[in-house]
Amino acid sequence: MTRRYWNINLEEMMEAGVHFGHGTRKWNPRMAPYISAKRKGIHITNLTRTARFLSEACDLVFDAASRGKQFLIVGTKNKVADSVARAAIKARCHYVNKKWLGGMSTNWSTTETRLHKFRDLRTEQKTGGLNHFPKRDAVMLKRQLSHLQTYLGGIKYMTGLPDIVIIVDQHEEYTALRECITLGIPTICLIDTNCDPDLADISIPANDDAIASIRLILNKLVFAICEGRSSYLRNT
Amino acid sequence: MAFAAQQFTGLRFPPLSSSQLSKPLSSKQQTQRSNYVPIVSAVAISNAQTKERLKLKDLFEEAYERCRTAPMQGVSFTTDDFHAALHKYDFNFDIGTKVKGTVFCADANGALVDITAKSSAYLAVEEACIHRLKHVEEAGIVPGLREEFIIIGENKANDSLVVSLRSIQYDLAWERCRQLQAEDAVLKGKIVGANKGGVFALVEGIRGFVPFSLISAKATAEELLGKELPLKILEVDKEQSKLVLSNRKAMADSQVQLGIGSVVTGTVQSLKPYGAFVDIGGINGLLHVSQISHDRISDIATVLQPGDTLKVMILSHNLKKGQVSLCTKKLEPTPGDMIRDPKLVFEKAEEMAQTFRQRIAQAEAMALADMQNFRPESGLTLSSEGILGPFTAVSSA
Repeated sequence: MTRRYWNINLEEMMEAGVHFGHGTRKWNPRMAPYISAKRKGIHITNLTRTARFLSEACDLVFDAASRGKQFLIVGTKNKVADSVARAAIKARCHYVNKKWLGGMSTNWSTTETRLHKFRDLRTEQKTGGLNHFPKRDAVMLKRQLSHLQTYLGGIKYMTGLPDIVIIVDQHEEYTALRECITLGIPTICLIDTNCDPDLADISIPANDDAIASIRLILNKLVFAICEGRSSYLRNT
Repeated sequence: MAFAAQQFTGLRFPPLSSSQLSKPLSSKQQTQRSNYVPIVSAVAISNAQTKERLKLKDLFEEAYERCRTAPMQGVSFTTDDFHAALHKYDFNFDIGTKVKGTVFCADANGALVDITAKSSAYLAVEEACIHRLKHVEEAGIVPGLREEFIIIGENKANDSLVVSLRSIQYDLAWERCRQLQAEDAVLKGKIVGANKGGVFALVEGIRGFVPFSLISAKATAEELLGKELPLKILEVDKEQSKLVLSNRKAMADSQVQLGIGSVVTGTVQSLKPYGAFVDIGGINGLLHVSQISHDRISDIATVLQPGDTLKVMILSHNLKKGQVSLCTKKLEPTPGDMIRDPKLVFEKAEEMAQTFRQRIAQAEAMALADMQNFRPESGLTLSSEGILGPFTAVSSA
């Protein structure tokens, strides 16, 4: 597997506030190896570990992208919703930024039905087929379309289960994480001081509350995906 | 077919051939991590997709092992660097601290500000500006704006902070008021409320009080509500939140160009036993009963009524108090005209004023000429009152 130098800069990370953890009272003792200090009532994560895991994650993601694998980025907090959407569009991978519907991956057959319906509705709208319906039906179909767009908008091009799933906040996306574990899909997860590091395959200890820190980590991963994808296109 | 295989992966069958358990259990951590092994049955193992996934899983496991065994590989800085940087990026988030932040999300109820803290801070729409707003955009809070905020509280539930711009703006506004008072500048203020003793006007975002006595235009509080008046600052006291403004002072200054002896048109505002208040161009001047006419007037109501327009001459004005003294006596062609024929006085007003001014000038010139002609050797001088007196060393001219 190739190992590259991903420019993970200490100053950058500290400016984004990646090293902040939650308050001392809210920690998970399993995070003890990743916490370096306690300051003013909050834990400070050890950025050397963060950098190590992040560089490893970037390598894996680069490798997978260069072999043409599919990615899925999950981040449903309303603060990070548009960052996730932007990052995923830049990397050309799927994303879920509104609520993760239960069973989205374990009940993939039903989700696929909904995606087919979504696709049909979109083609109908584009060809103007909605105008053939009476007004009430047309309005109902439009409402359905907007509903599907908000919840399934990020995965509308997905044809099967993804190969790697990147999760932004373990506490928020616990359902998604559990689904991926039962299905055996490898996961990369952002861990904070109150999360469990053994659930995901690669857990990156970082601050999951500050938007700057999430953006930084997502940018690094997305950069790796883009690089991998461009090398995949070059080779095939 | 694919679905069948996937259904099996969730079941807890004993693994016939599972890649993870067949590896030697090198460390305790491995067993802990593989608590939830993706169980595959014999049918599914032939599925290409699951095989691929297992391969990927293997890679991830290896990567994790590598991270554990070679913790510093690929990391461009050391632990000591990290600790040193920690001291550099020390933070202080007590209530009352000023922090610099960037706005990254704004909606109708408030905005989210990114300060380098654990979590982002919230700026409510009420705290965004001194004036009341409906949307934070009106105050200029758009995503991407970098500004200083002040921390006013924290939200324990999600470790976020509550910030405000209002306190900083209030401080600035009080500073500005102090400066304006020093400069003695005129401001425009909108009347927003009333009290028993006066009205409230909004100036630089702060509510200031204008007592009725200091308002020149004779109007009740209801009429003034919503109007804009020119105001001057009389008193600024931040600790007690006192800001006193005066309308009369501002108007008096604007009418400075009315020289003494000029004739202006005015409307009678109110009558008093000692005279009438005439509104000339916004400021009230007093027309004393003795200055109305040469003849004695017993009852002013016979001569003047509120609402009458008449021409008056300015006798003197007192800038500090904002008071102007008026007279119509000098404008009468023949003494007593005001009582008998006000219209005549009105028409002849300009001529009379002219004559009056000429007479004044003549008198002054005469006094000056007398001063010069008069020989000082005789030991007598003409004092300002026109009285001959002994010539003293200090000439009182």
